[in-house]
Amino acid sequence: MTFEIPFGPQHPALEEPINFMFEIEEERVVNVKPRLGYVHRGIEKIAENRNYQQLVYLSERICGICSFAHALCYSQVVEELLDLKIPERAKFIRTIVAEMERIQNHYLWLGLTAKEMGFETLFMYAWRDRETIIEMLDMISGKRVNYGMSTIGGVRRDIPEPMIKRMEESLNHLEARAEYYTKVCTKDPSILKRTVGIGILRPREARALCAVGPTARASGIPRDVRADEPYAAYGEIPFKVVTYRGCDVASRMYVRIDEIKESIKIIRYALKNMPEGPIRVKAPMRVPEGEAISRVEAPRGENLHFLKSNGTDKPERWKIRAPTLANLLSLCRMLMGVNLADIPVVIAGIDPCIACAERIALIDAKTKKLKVWEGKDLWRYANEWYRKRYGL
Amino acid sequence: MAMEDDMFRNLKEKPVTIQFPYEHVEPVEGVRAKVSWDIDKCIGCRLCVTICPGNAIQLVGRGRQAEIKYNVGRCILCGECVDVCPTKAIYATKEFEIVFNNRRGMITHFRRKKRKRTS
Amino acid sequence: MVSEEIWALIQIFLFPGFFFLFFLAFFTEWVDRKIVAKFQNRYGPLHVGPKGVLQPIADFIKLLSKEDITPRMADKVPFNLMPVLLLSLAITPLFCIPIVGSNALVSFEGDLIVIMFIMSLIAVLVFIGGWASTNRFSTIGSIRAGLQLFAYEIPMNLAMIGPAIAAGSLSISKIVDWQIHGFWNLFIQPVGFAVLTISLMAHLQRVPFDIPEAESEIVSGWIVEFSGKKLALIRLAKDFEFVLASALIVSLFLGGPYGPWYISPIIYLAKFFICVFILSNLRAAFARYRIDHLLAGAWKYLTPLALLQIFLIKVLGV
Repeated sequence: MTFEIPFGPQHPALEEPINFMFEIEEERVVNVKPRLGYVHRGIEKIAENRNYQQLVYLSERICGICSFAHALCYSQVVEELLDLKIPERAKFIRTIVAEMERIQNHYLWLGLTAKEMGFETLFMYAWRDRETIIEMLDMISGKRVNYGMSTIGGVRRDIPEPMIKRMEESLNHLEARAEYYTKVCTKDPSILKRTVGIGILRPREARALCAVGPTARASGIPRDVRADEPYAAYGEIPFKVVTYRGCDVASRMYVRIDEIKESIKIIRYALKNMPEGPIRVKAPMRVPEGEAISRVEAPRGENLHFLKSNGTDKPERWKIRAPTLANLLSLCRMLMGVNLADIPVVIAGIDPCIACAERIALIDAKTKKLKVWEGKDLWRYANEWYRKRYGL
Repeated sequence: MAMEDDMFRNLKEKPVTIQFPYEHVEPVEGVRAKVSWDIDKCIGCRLCVTICPGNAIQLVGRGRQAEIKYNVGRCILCGECVDVCPTKAIYATKEFEIVFNNRRGMITHFRRKKRKRTS
Repeated sequence: MVSEEIWALIQIFLFPGFFFLFFLAFFTEWVDRKIVAKFQNRYGPLHVGPKGVLQPIADFIKLLSKEDITPRMADKVPFNLMPVLLLSLAITPLFCIPIVGSNALVSFEGDLIVIMFIMSLIAVLVFIGGWASTNRFSTIGSIRAGLQLFAYEIPMNLAMIGPAIAAGSLSISKIVDWQIHGFWNLFIQPVGFAVLTISLMAHLQRVPFDIPEAESEIVSGWIVEFSGKKLALIRLAKDFEFVLASALIVSLFLGGPYGPWYISPIIYLAKFFICVFILSNLRAAFARYRIDHLLAGAWKYLTPLALLQIFLIKVLGV
């Protein structure tokens, strides 16, 4: 007997609204249909009415957790259009903040996954330790989330000498905790039971479905923008791309915990070798006509920003591809054949961030065909709708 | 069972939770919080109005007679206006607990004192 | 003659009867929450009463005052009866457990069997309650509850029979009496103690085995449709089950109360809260297992171990 189980849009295991319709056969998933469209925010449209300086802060609010990655990506794409050379010190500070953000995201992820597994204690501990890195970010940028550090032409705040000392202490603590969680996650029998061999994504499938970030790296594919196409100061810092070959949730967990350690090493190296100099160059308000693309390795995977400018101080089109959108297809593959009890763990495994990924597509209900509407069509539709609604 | 050691260590320690309404944490140096105006220094250049991402700042009037209408509800606490102000008329405060009971309370007017006309 | 009747009434309604048991149940919930919070580096309940000790009572009263919804599709009679039955079934066995002296309020040869029967009945009731509410999540939860019963019931009953064989009696009061004159069963049957603790965790549906009400998987499983007064009664019944579980461990393996009447309850409560501490510690130390893990584990390890324990008792004659 197949059984249809709705999962979401409101469900305790999901932080954000997305709907999955599962067909269950004896507690096993045989089919899954994801449905997006509950938190569409229209950020790309808002962007067309804002100037480039204001958009830095809008880009930060695409995602609350990987906000710096989006801001960095946006800043880079505008700098490319402006042909702006940013100072070396700014590049290093960007790298440091990006890696700190990766650490806090991975701790957050560890806690959330533990919560999906029903391991409350690990959840509490992971989030307690995340507080250390958030306090550090608060110290550097003045905010706990949406740091407002990156801007067009550099960064807004410097990291002075006394801060570096305090950062060293926090990093030592975080490294010790990461070691501890490695021990816990490799030893604890109940965690191993819930993660090993669950949500398999084979390397061939991961490549075919364009998985990005830790999801791809856990399937043994060394896909990392930081190494493939170095931005900021990554070209000058030696680091290792962490890959595991387990292809399951456990590997995703180990990849992320190892990335915490790797990030700490990157931050240490960057703090030691940070050049002196200015942190910001002045950027003009108007951007010359052109198109540009920028890629950034966000904690969840690869961020892609495309910008088309038309010579004014406002962009013509700004397209964002958040990592969750790329991973959604592989998520559906992972969910096939999974036990009902493992669904939350597998979904948490790709670190979904639904609001980042929401886009609108128009589908004709009768023919089930995708329609493409241009601005003119939307404008006409909106006008007709208002006329009908208010009887104008 | 791998976490037993840490659990028993925590049994002796004080909880890390901060009981917020009763306990407060000092905001760090340079916290991004509500901004305020030293209105007499303002020259009405409109730079903060252009740069504000949330359109929280409005300039009512013109030039040196202008007054500032600042809506905390729209402010995203980025601090760009503080950086951009050419006369340092805008300064950051440390007030980050910004809660209001009504929308009207969010809006602050910064008016110039009526100067006595010196003959 | 009259004074004896008054004495009996006091025993039934005040101590160690209803009044005491209700407060013990609420207090145990508070202790459990507080210990788990302490393990997790949190505060736990804090504001109602000193150190939050009245929080469970406040929760209970709050739930009583909430709207009580019966789903239109639900099977009305079992749905409405189930919480009341669950509560009464959870309280009843507590009268068979000696708290003052080695004699319980209700004591007869074979009350251990009655307790086993009632504990199975509770699991069946949970299944009926979840099934009657006809929600997709509660149906899955109730199926899981039924499956879980198959996993833990046999090792649990075998582990409970162990002390009875050693004492040569099926009455809890007599088992306690036997332990006072001899050794605690904990030292003679450590394996049985471990098996009973693990099976009781499964019976109580606490964290490593909270499979029927897994919050992140099937919302709250079989509880999901209960609200208001029914939910309050169910939660109280769960507290009583927790008290019963700890009390059973104390009576069967830790020797129960002994000494004169004014000391024995204190000794009893000390042992009782040691058991609560052990159960709370186990709750904090695990991730949730899956139903197939529990079934496999129970049949592969728990049942053989419980059988081995009984074999050892018979062979060694202790």
